[in-house]
Amino acid sequence: MDYVQHAFYKASHWNYENSYSQLTTTARALLDFETPRGLRLNLSSLSSPNFATSYAIGSVGLVDGSLSYLYTSLPLHTTSQSGKIDLHDVIHGYRQIQELRRPDQPWMWEEWQGGKRIDKRTSLLYGRLYLPQSTLEALYLRRISPTQQLKLSAVSDGRLRNGGTILALHQYDVGKYSAETLYSTDGGLLGLRGIYNFGLDPRKENTEAPRTEDRFYGRFSAGAEMYYGSLNKSGGVSFGGRFATLPAHKGAPLTATLTLNPLMGNLSTTYAVKAGKNLALCSKFDFNVYSYESEVKLGCELWRMKTRVPEKKERSMAAKLEWRLDPVEENLAPVPEEVAGVLKARVDQSWKIGILWEGRVKELLFTLGSSIDMKRKDQPFRAIGLEIQYSS
Amino acid sequence: MAFNFNWSPLTADADFYKRAQEMLTTALNKSPKPPIIVDDILVNELNLGSVPPELEILEIGDLAEDRFRGIFKMCYSGDAFLTLKTRVQANPLNTYLFSKPSFTSPQPLAASSGLTIPLQITLSEIKLSAFIILVFSRQKGLTLVFRNDPLESLKVSSTFDSIPFVRDYLQKEIEMQLRTLMMDELPAIIHRLSLRLWCPEFRAKEEEELAQAAKQDEDEVAVDPFSSPPQDAVDSRGNVLDASEISSLSLDGGSEIHSLFSQKNLLRLAALTDSHRTLSLFTPSIRDAVFRAWAGPSERSDSAGSSTPATPSLQRSNSSLGTSTTYTFNRGSDDGHGHLPSRPSLVSMHSATSGLGLGAGRHARSHLRKKKTRVVNLRKPKAIDDLVSESGDSDASSIAPASEPIMPTRILEEPEDNIIDPPQSPQRVRFRDSSVDVSPSKARLPARPSINPLSEQVTVDPVPSVEKSEETVPIFSREHRPSLNSLQYPAEKVPMTYTPTPILTSSDSSILSQAWVLKMANEIARRSQDIDHKATTEGFWSQSQLSRDEREDTPPPAYQAAL
Repeated sequence: MDYVQHAFYKASHWNYENSYSQLTTTARALLDFETPRGLRLNLSSLSSPNFATSYAIGSVGLVDGSLSYLYTSLPLHTTSQSGKIDLHDVIHGYRQIQELRRPDQPWMWEEWQGGKRIDKRTSLLYGRLYLPQSTLEALYLRRISPTQQLKLSAVSDGRLRNGGTILALHQYDVGKYSAETLYSTDGGLLGLRGIYNFGLDPRKENTEAPRTEDRFYGRFSAGAEMYYGSLNKSGGVSFGGRFATLPAHKGAPLTATLTLNPLMGNLSTTYAVKAGKNLALCSKFDFNVYSYESEVKLGCELWRMKTRVPEKKERSMAAKLEWRLDPVEENLAPVPEEVAGVLKARVDQSWKIGILWEGRVKELLFTLGSSIDMKRKDQPFRAIGLEIQYSS
Repeated sequence: MAFNFNWSPLTADADFYKRAQEMLTTALNKSPKPPIIVDDILVNELNLGSVPPELEILEIGDLAEDRFRGIFKMCYSGDAFLTLKTRVQANPLNTYLFSKPSFTSPQPLAASSGLTIPLQITLSEIKLSAFIILVFSRQKGLTLVFRNDPLESLKVSSTFDSIPFVRDYLQKEIEMQLRTLMMDELPAIIHRLSLRLWCPEFRAKEEEELAQAAKQDEDEVAVDPFSSPPQDAVDSRGNVLDASEISSLSLDGGSEIHSLFSQKNLLRLAALTDSHRTLSLFTPSIRDAVFRAWAGPSERSDSAGSSTPATPSLQRSNSSLGTSTTYTFNRGSDDGHGHLPSRPSLVSMHSATSGLGLGAGRHARSHLRKKKTRVVNLRKPKAIDDLVSESGDSDASSIAPASEPIMPTRILEEPEDNIIDPPQSPQRVRFRDSSVDVSPSKARLPARPSINPLSEQVTVDPVPSVEKSEETVPIFSREHRPSLNSLQYPAEKVPMTYTPTPILTSSDSSILSQAWVLKMANEIARRSQDIDHKATTEGFWSQSQLSRDEREDTPPPAYQAAL
């Protein structure tokens, strides 16, 4: 479902990454990945370009499951078979930020027929029902304009206060900067967050070639967020900055972030580097200036590749008839390596270890994970789980 | 009336503080904590202060050696204080997100980063004002319930007193927690403690299995008669019920319950009816049945004006008389004391009514007969002493010294057989009785089994006793008799003989007992006639010696006078 949502973003030319909330995506993917618990089966299908369904069943103590449906007005033409899907799109690892793209101009969306505009705003509807808990999730996503997007998400659950919550999020992204405002019915929380990218403005035409010969060729972004709960009179503020190399960078790609919470005195730095083609390392350091509490986390990600065996070429019939060899083909594009699996591991200062192995067996995508607490010698395995996905 | 608390020894005991701190710590950490508290709550310091609480008795519902029920009013505004230590999450946004579904969470990047702060809270100036309902029974322990919210006001001082928002929040949260502690946890703790103190079997049980559920089961066993159904249960038509049928019955099953009898009890009822049909004097005892006639005296004397609990005073005044009637009366009060009508928890009241009626009728007659056979009465104290000492009833044993000095030698002469084996009662019944309840000294029911042989014996052995006692103590017994009658019995006698009948007819008991009711009514009617006819018969003693049956029907002069 996440994959389909991202496909929607991609199809509607929305830069998902250009948001303050996605500032530390890389570190989160490498350090705060979720380890599955128990056995979980996922069955998804993109039955038509506009409609997708997904069923999940899990057993953590008792059997639970969920049903989800997704409808989008924008036809999605993406591979959905789990046997063919590119694992780089499914597995969140080190995220290479891309060059900012120039936003679409409003006229690009206009469609005219017989002197009338017939274009409609694309939207996405998504609903998910968790069965024994009777929890309903709903999402409505609408592209208002090429630079704006509205996202409404709601949860209905009898156990929650007032029976559920609604979160409204309005996003405005022009490439150079992006701003978001949000409102949550729970506690009347108002939020405002924004990010500013230093460097070239993608809206302007720039002809000069990027100076890739610098030691670091990348982009620096800075942002801030502010929340205020109008009902419980509480709030929160944080600032953050990120430097990340762009794809044109010649050296090893790296991402460094710094976030600061001035109210709580919390300071957090992350540093992630893609050390090799298949290896990414990440570290995180938290420090609180008021309570002197600190935390260190280390993580790594290792991609195991499987080279596709090149097909043995038979001499073609035509060549045989002409009594000559086939012309030597220039191997223009090397056959892309296939991902066999990804191993992720993290460890923190209290020796809590998380291990995740994601890969593909035939047509099935699987995720095998465990979280281990080395401090508890008697029962180190806190959780162990296997998740199997199949989609068509 | 108010209590005078001896507060200082309690506060001086260091061990008590340690234990109290531990218990409070576990109690505070048991209930789910709000997300703002990220660590265990530790009771750091506890001081009960020097000012004791004021306790006022509002009402006493029930008072006995092993039971108590009352309502108190408690006020406390002392200098006790309590210091707690914990760690709190200072970021409101973090606690805000704690219980929210992730799907709609705003997912802040760093604004929700936590800041845990060690917190020390001192609770002082506690003002309590509560109505407490206190129920104590030796079997079920001590139950304490707050009728209203006990917490009146409380001062919470903490590390964050300078920040008004945090202070208010803490005040609110702590008051809420304390209220739940007082209303829910405290009664449970006290109940458990009291059970450990007074119920040895409970303690053993608890040591065996600490599981809470098992404990509750244990408690329930005592209450629910269907959790341990009779092994040979039959329904109202005598068909044997199997275990599944019994289990299908429930306490709130309605009228069906009353049709469930133990076969043993039915046999006993049959024996009872037989004994009355044949005018046998044997009354088989029926377990777990309340004999209303026995409960009556204490009730009546209660209503007669003595505001204090009636049973002890009754015993004392009667035992000083040292005669047979004393004993019977004592017994009655004793019994009523065991099963006051005010206790609704008694099992199978309805099904017991037949037995109840029987007992009442029987008892009433025995009462009357006691009065007519004055000499016989003298022997009873002896029986009492034996039975009493056997049963080990503490109440009854107080009677023994009073009666002993009156006839210390005669007790030895008394043949033991008379107590257990009345010569007049038919052998058949006798056997059944002995097989059913082996000894009257069963610890469970000290009073009831003893009564039956006693009353039999009273009426039944005029033959041996007349010879023995007439020579020595007739005067003695005569001395007391008139006074006793005039003092205690005038009001009682008339209702006593006639009350059983309406009770029985109204009750939905078995056919057997209904038949017996008719029989009984007839007999009573006939008796009253007989009384009229033979009222003035002076040659009573010779008559009774000559024929037992006649003696049975012959009302004594005392009887008539009483009527």
